[in-house]
Amino acid sequence: MEIEVGPGPYQRPSRCGFPSLRFAEEQEFAPEAFESSNPDPAVTGEGMHVVPLGPVRADVAEAMRYEMDVLGDEIHGLSLKRGYKPRGVERLMRGAEVGRALEIAERVTGTSTVAHALAFSLAVEDALGLQVDERTSLLRSALAELERLHSHLGDLASLAASTGTVAAAADLYRVRESVLRFGRHWTGHRYLRGAIAPGGWRLGLADVTSEISNFLEDVEHQFLAVRRALDHTNSFLDRLHGAGRIPAQQPLDLVGVVGRASGSTEDVRWDRPYAWYPELCAGRSPAGAAMGDAFGRYFVRCEEVQHSIAMLRRDGAASAMPSELPSIAIDGVGCGLVEAPRGRLFYRVELSKGSIATVRIRTPSSINWVAVPLAVANHNILQDLPIIDASFNLAVASLDL
Amino acid sequence: MFYPRWIVNFAKGPSVLRRNTAPTQGRRIPPQARLFSHSLAIRHLDAGSCNGCESEISLLSSPVYDLSRFGFSFTPSPRHADLLLVTGVVTEAMVPMIRATYDAMPAPKLVVAAGTCAIDGCVFRGAPGVIGDLERIVPVDVRISGCPPTPDDLLDGLLAAVGRQAPAAGDVG
Repeated sequence: MEIEVGPGPYQRPSRCGFPSLRFAEEQEFAPEAFESSNPDPAVTGEGMHVVPLGPVRADVAEAMRYEMDVLGDEIHGLSLKRGYKPRGVERLMRGAEVGRALEIAERVTGTSTVAHALAFSLAVEDALGLQVDERTSLLRSALAELERLHSHLGDLASLAASTGTVAAAADLYRVRESVLRFGRHWTGHRYLRGAIAPGGWRLGLADVTSEISNFLEDVEHQFLAVRRALDHTNSFLDRLHGAGRIPAQQPLDLVGVVGRASGSTEDVRWDRPYAWYPELCAGRSPAGAAMGDAFGRYFVRCEEVQHSIAMLRRDGAASAMPSELPSIAIDGVGCGLVEAPRGRLFYRVELSKGSIATVRIRTPSSINWVAVPLAVANHNILQDLPIIDASFNLAVASLDL
Repeated sequence: MFYPRWIVNFAKGPSVLRRNTAPTQGRRIPPQARLFSHSLAIRHLDAGSCNGCESEISLLSSPVYDLSRFGFSFTPSPRHADLLLVTGVVTEAMVPMIRATYDAMPAPKLVVAAGTCAIDGCVFRGAPGVIGDLERIVPVDVRISGCPPTPDDLLDGLLAAVGRQAPAAGDVG
């Protein structure tokens, strides 16, 4: 039996079915574009067949098409097809007022609302030369850590569910629900929408100073109990070790949890501290692992949950009053760089006469998706796919934008 | 005097008519919907969401909301599905998939538009490639507003879709 390995995704990341991953100046929305993005099968040969999956897939999942080249049970190649859900985010923001553009930014990725609002606000403040006071910075990083907490807990829960460890998944979902409810109590929205705005606050915050320490204690206690149990559950760990290992020889420049789980130490909070992070990060170093497999990503997420709880403890949680949106009609260009729950998030905003002239967004998922085909087509079998998928847990919404 | 719950509910009349508030705006509940009232297979379909709705929908399976206590479950196959739960702004690229999924479902079938995006496009209305209204593609039975709708709203909407009333707080359903 002969198997011919073509220029597949695990040799050249540029051919993973992403026609427009580069920072193209003008991106056209053509629904056909993704159909021909990867015309050649990655691997051909006798007995090789393609297992298609999606765009309507799994129980509850975002629209994305997987085409796996499979021999027996082993996956030899994976091509991803994107482009099912472009919403024209950058185009829609063009010409919009700051307030409307902020609303759109908050809806780019639902589970990274604060990160997007913060990156957008930092970019607008940079363009206008605005400075916010210490208390605002402090509360902003507190909200960002609360968001990281609920996002990581959700990712860990879906990872546990994908390995069939349903009791741990149920516990993690329960903790996550309590974090979301605390967020609603604090900001009025479960996903913390409508809180952050350029120059200050949009709707203000409630005062939760008296409750936050009890809340964090509960969350930490419950989370540590689940983590301890998972760390001693062999049936869970066996499925993670070695699954979805990202080949080390690929210079992929991955970001966020995925990058830090494969040897990178990049974390915007440490490298280019914003908001209150110069204070919060002092005396701590970013979580990291060198394995690059599903266990590495599990480990880094768990560590970061504990970091976030510790940072929230030091942050405090005062109330905040809503402030006016800045309406200074000057032109300018500004950049905002933050560490979203999934990794480095970049906004470049060009202002003209008080409204947005152009916006460019670089999301962590758009960088990290190239690693998924490489990790999946690396001695894994079909049954590993849900686990690998859950261990990455990248957003499709911020890939298609 | 103790009566079984179904007799009590029957005596009160169709529960949909009793609902007066709720974020759920029902258009028409087909009479066959009652068939699913205690056994509903749901197929979720993402038509361009921000993944906020997916995040809330996945919490429906958590012990806090536990949709299986109503006899509801998610199914991977549209062939087994009674209800299509659509989230997102309805992009042009997803229209053939929405139609194909709807056609693959056996009749009688229900469609629920979850989230403001699927109802009117939310902030993405008028964007290139965005249709913004599920009704233009397939007939919609129940709309659940919210950005994203909370798991409580989603449960309310799903129960309304099959002609059941959401349990009062503290009721085990």
